[in-house]
Amino acid sequence: MANLQNNRRGRRKILRTVLIYFATIIAVIFFIFPIYWLIATSLKTRAQAFSTPPLFVWEPTVRNFIDIFLKRQTEIEAITGQELELATGAETFFYNSFIVTFSSIAIATVIGVLAAYSFSRYQPHGTNTLMFFILSTRMLPAIVVAIPIYFFYRSLGLYNTHIGLVLLYTMFNLPFAVWMMKSFFDEVPRDIEQAALVDGSNPIKVFYKIALPQVLVGLGATIGFLIINVWNEFLFALLLTERATRTVPVMIAGTRGEVGINWGLIAAIETLYILPALVLIFVLQRFLLRGMTFGTVRGAK
Amino acid sequence: MTKVEIRGLRKSYGAVEALKGLDLVVESGALVALLGPTGAGKTTTLKCIAGVEKPDSGDILFNGESILGIPAWRRNVAMFFQTYALYPHLSVYHNIAYPLREQKMSKDEIDRVVKSVAKKLRISHLLDRKEPSTLSGGEMQRVALARTLVRNPLVFLLDEPISNLDAKLREEMRTEFKRLHRELKQTIIYATPDYLEAFAVAEKVAVIKDGVILQYDTPINLLKRPKNRFVATFIGSPTINLLRGVVRRGARGWEFSTSGLRLELVSVGGAFSKIYDGLEVELAVRPHDIILGEQQNGNTFKAKVLAAERLGHETIITLSLGEVELKTVSKGMRLYKYGDEVSISIPGDRVILFDVSNGEAIH
Repeated sequence: MANLQNNRRGRRKILRTVLIYFATIIAVIFFIFPIYWLIATSLKTRAQAFSTPPLFVWEPTVRNFIDIFLKRQTEIEAITGQELELATGAETFFYNSFIVTFSSIAIATVIGVLAAYSFSRYQPHGTNTLMFFILSTRMLPAIVVAIPIYFFYRSLGLYNTHIGLVLLYTMFNLPFAVWMMKSFFDEVPRDIEQAALVDGSNPIKVFYKIALPQVLVGLGATIGFLIINVWNEFLFALLLTERATRTVPVMIAGTRGEVGINWGLIAAIETLYILPALVLIFVLQRFLLRGMTFGTVRGAK
Repeated sequence: MTKVEIRGLRKSYGAVEALKGLDLVVESGALVALLGPTGAGKTTTLKCIAGVEKPDSGDILFNGESILGIPAWRRNVAMFFQTYALYPHLSVYHNIAYPLREQKMSKDEIDRVVKSVAKKLRISHLLDRKEPSTLSGGEMQRVALARTLVRNPLVFLLDEPISNLDAKLREEMRTEFKRLHRELKQTIIYATPDYLEAFAVAEKVAVIKDGVILQYDTPINLLKRPKNRFVATFIGSPTINLLRGVVRRGARGWEFSTSGLRLELVSVGGAFSKIYDGLEVELAVRPHDIILGEQQNGNTFKAKVLAAERLGHETIITLSLGEVELKTVSKGMRLYKYGDEVSISIPGDRVILFDVSNGEAIH
């Protein structure tokens, strides 16, 4: 009797494990499939990309990856008669994306870290008010300020410039950098810094020799989040750029919906576009998880 | 050699007053212990001297000159932090070398000093360890101590430097501090909550509570002539016996009486000056001063044994005299049972009286 029960329980356990694994695999496929399909399409010719039923076995080609950089493909738009350059010359857009991301993050990180450290350590008068004020700039939906900023940029001559986008992204990312870095600095025991002061280091040395090394993990997480923010930003890039300063997401969106889309080319660009983000996420995975679970919630004291 | 003077030091953290006008003079080259319970203001005092906390008012002088205007990194004070405050990203070696490197000492010189201090504290084998957080508590404490002792400062400030070590190492370190103080001939201020440690290391002890110094005296005077009730109860183990009662003028001088107990008092330094008939007092007598057995001085009582704790070299006996409970200590291992009857005698010149209204001692 007992044996039979044990047996039944054992079998139920196996069944449960199988079900859990099955569900996990389904979920993973569900999330991975679009990325797989994207990469697959980038390796297909135009005809293969359009075939019905969809092709699962084909001879892969890297033609698309060469074309997006080298080929100059133009078409005449039917109604306006405008000349359109489609899904080619991608190096400009990647260059734009890189320049804008790198510069804005460099500025936001430097200012953010310094501001966070002074808020955390020196608590100037009105720290709480200021911290809330900084946060409040992120409470408004971006679309609300989009139109004013557009006119603003037009009249200031920042429209369609790299520096314009860099300034905007720096502004959007600073609150995030300050809040995140402040909570990391809050975690550093004050005694360590006081010990360094007594040991003969002036406050500037204490900052970069003692405090900064303690928050490197947090700094990695913060930079990771900021890169993803900027790299993926679409709305303002669309509003404030023309062809010369256009970033990759805008270019991808702009290509779709025109006459005779070459999905293979677009997929190739998108594959290259998500690559840095994928690599970054894998590299920073540990930091990002730490950033999400640790830090930000502790807030201002 | 530096004489340290603290005058009327005050420091608040928000609504909490950590120091309430603290005065202390540490003679040049002396080793003084700052003795007090947790939250008494020991750490705050040391941090103010080190310069990492800014006092609200008052002054700190080194050799007669105020140092409040000198920032911490130029004060040339070495401090051991109660939390060790090791630099987590530096190896043990570089932790100890840190203050020397900040002084721009040459590499060879640093190496020599670090190694000799490490040897003295028996942590030479730890020097290569990359992450101080992987050390045990005792090891961390010794590394932090090494980082303090590599320097040649004006004053050493030690905040509970041996409290977390095991009993054996603690005993060794006490002796080590004495030797160190003799060799360095430096002014050392040593904070501790343990009166035995303070007595063992220091020539003079300042008892601190609630941000003020209650008494600043030699160990023997703190023990024999506490200025108030707190000092009397904080120092000594087992804790001093306290009996509440009234002073009366008896046939042969002043007497202390409480329910079922009458004691003849003998003044140590002549007549009691602040005493009057009917004064409510607390009488304190150290367990070690109560004598087991009959004595000729009159203050002899019959008592019942409630409990006896045998500690090896001595036995702590809890006695009941009617409604009063007393502890006494007897040398060696004594066998007592509950309910045993014994005679005790309380020497009238060994008791201390405290005014009930303010806890101050009456002499």
